Amino acid sequence: MLEIKDLYAGFDGTEIIKGISLSVKKGEIHAVMGPNGSGKSTLAKILSGHPAYEAMSGEILFDGKNLLDMDAEERSLAGIFMGFQYPVEVPGVNNAEFLRMAHNARRIKAGEEEIDPLDFDDLLSEKMNTLGMEKKYKERNLNDGFSGGEKKKNEILQMAILEPQLSILDETDSGLDIDALRVVSEGVNKLRNENNALILITHYQRLLDYINPDFVHVLSGGKIVKSGDKSLALELESQGYDWVTTVN
Amino acid sequence: MSDTLVESTAESAFLDLHKKLLEQGTSSFSELQQLSLQRFEMLGFPHSKHEMYTYLNTKELVESAFTISCRSEKVSEDFVVSHIYPGCENHCLVFVDGILNHDLSRLKGVSANLTPIAEAVSVDKELKKHLTETADNENDVFAALSAAFCGEGLVFKLADKEKISEPVQVLFVSTGGNHAMYTPRLVWQLGKLSELKVIAKFVGVEGGYFVNGIQDWLLAEGAGVSFTQVQADNFDSWHFSKTRVQLKKNSRFHSSNASFGTQLTRHHYDVRLQEEGAELKLNGVSVLDGREQVHNFIRIHHEAPQCVSHQYFKNVINDHARSSFDGTVIVAEGAQLTSSDQLINNLMLSNEGHADNKPNLMIFADDVKCTHGATIGQIDEEQWFYLQTRGLSARTAKELLTRSFAKSIIETIEFPEVVKDLNGTLLKKLEIHNV
Repeated sequence: MLEIKDLYAGFDGTEIIKGISLSVKKGEIHAVMGPNGSGKSTLAKILSGHPAYEAMSGEILFDGKNLLDMDAEERSLAGIFMGFQYPVEVPGVNNAEFLRMAHNARRIKAGEEEIDPLDFDDLLSEKMNTLGMEKKYKERNLNDGFSGGEKKKNEILQMAILEPQLSILDETDSGLDIDALRVVSEGVNKLRNENNALILITHYQRLLDYINPDFVHVLSGGKIVKSGDKSLALELESQGYDWVTTVN
Repeated sequence: MSDTLVESTAESAFLDLHKKLLEQGTSSFSELQQLSLQRFEMLGFPHSKHEMYTYLNTKELVESAFTISCRSEKVSEDFVVSHIYPGCENHCLVFVDGILNHDLSRLKGVSANLTPIAEAVSVDKELKKHLTETADNENDVFAALSAAFCGEGLVFKLADKEKISEPVQVLFVSTGGNHAMYTPRLVWQLGKLSELKVIAKFVGVEGGYFVNGIQDWLLAEGAGVSFTQVQADNFDSWHFSKTRVQLKKNSRFHSSNASFGTQLTRHHYDVRLQEEGAELKLNGVSVLDGREQVHNFIRIHHEAPQCVSHQYFKNVINDHARSSFDGTVIVAEGAQLTSSDQLINNLMLSNEGHADNKPNLMIFADDVKCTHGATIGQIDEEQWFYLQTRGLSARTAKELLTRSFAKSIIETIEFPEVVKDLNGTLLKKLEIHNV
């Protein structure tokens, strides 16, 4: 599904990612862990198409297509979802209306008609029920005045509505208390299936107590310095990142 | 006045025009006209450095040769009906070319509230005194000009405890096409504990006119007003308005203004919170493109303790459009526990647009809470990117953000039909023109 090949990338001319290769297949969950400044968020930004970030060399293929040639809108319509570390507040844009627009953008891309507003309301209610979310999320403006936990839940609601093939969740666990972390993780688990894939970008192992990754990659100095299964995350938790960076 | 420059030819033209008007005036009202005319002569047209006109150029306006009309031109009923909001069909005052048109107006249940100013001042000495003092102290030359030319103003009076639950619409139609100046005038007199909701809309049939109106709002103790104005004149017209508000104890004046802009639009508000517990809410939104302009000049006088005022203005500025906001809150000595806030946000969509802001506070009391702020910015790049990551095109995302910026003011309007109208017209400007 996703092939990252020897990627060098950065911001404002500064190289932060220094040769990453990663292959993600359908049904897989990859956790990308690493200390602060290791390049985790830069990787997320590059994958989502943030205009301030640039790939200096290497390539990223999504379903065989060059992702780097696509802008953020095209990537989303192709089936990539980016869960933001700091979801942006957009006052004045109603959450439900925005979700319907995003859902319709996908339908139009697929050559389908726009969804009837009442049908969408049913769909939204169903997804919110599945995720155990309160009605207020429909009425409020997009992330406007939301707490940290509410913003992250709203990201998962967007993910549920857009049904992406590949989701990249950037530090989804940051700023969440233990209850919110559980709710968000349960939501992510419910949306998993054999046809989609997930990249979890996280600093801490605690998210992986709730979402079980198939692979764990440790990023340090802009490179993947170690890959393994879930046990690698536990090892990191007990020994710290110095263990990996020193070993390598 | 020392800070004005008399442009003799421009003023002489208006003075000559006024002579013609006076020949047809009623004796009682002519006194006020005469006073205003003297005031006009004394003030003179402003030069570019005049404090009240720093951000707009009135040269072309004052040098235009205007005509006056003492009767309203014909306007089709269909045109009028298309601008009457659902729910207002039974009480709508239709002014054509500044004069109330009885045939087009629907005054069911409100005709007893209406009196021509000339008649009202002949029986109401307090009102006469007030209007005379106002004319005598007028500091805005265009308001003086309007009052001098106003032929047939009206007083809309509510008795103590009288409440009109349905909104009253006032439609100001300018027929245009003849380079005329129209000077509609309304005095709203609200008795103690009375309640009124008013929607005023300004439209034009053809352009090329100068609508220069005055509205006075006199609210007695405990009176409440909800006032929404929609300025939707033709682009090639001039729109000047003066709104004077006097608030007595515990009265409440909530106002929203939505402006489409013209080649030169200026709203002047002068609000006096005169007794304890008075409350003012003043919101405004404009969506401008091409060479449209909207300027707000606002003076809020907190003259008594424990009064509250809120001002919230937003402008969307595209192409070569211009806006300005010159707003001062003056808290008088002794007006303790005043609470006042003022916020102006401008969203610039082009490099050629222009926005001037001058928020100002003058505080002469020591126990008050006053804030003010102004921003001029562009579309937030992070918001824009965020929406695109959800599959919205760059253009759709930008349009959504721009609409949401203006909508936050529009949604404060309490009349759903006006909100619907503005969503389909004012905000439509953001679709038609490539944001």
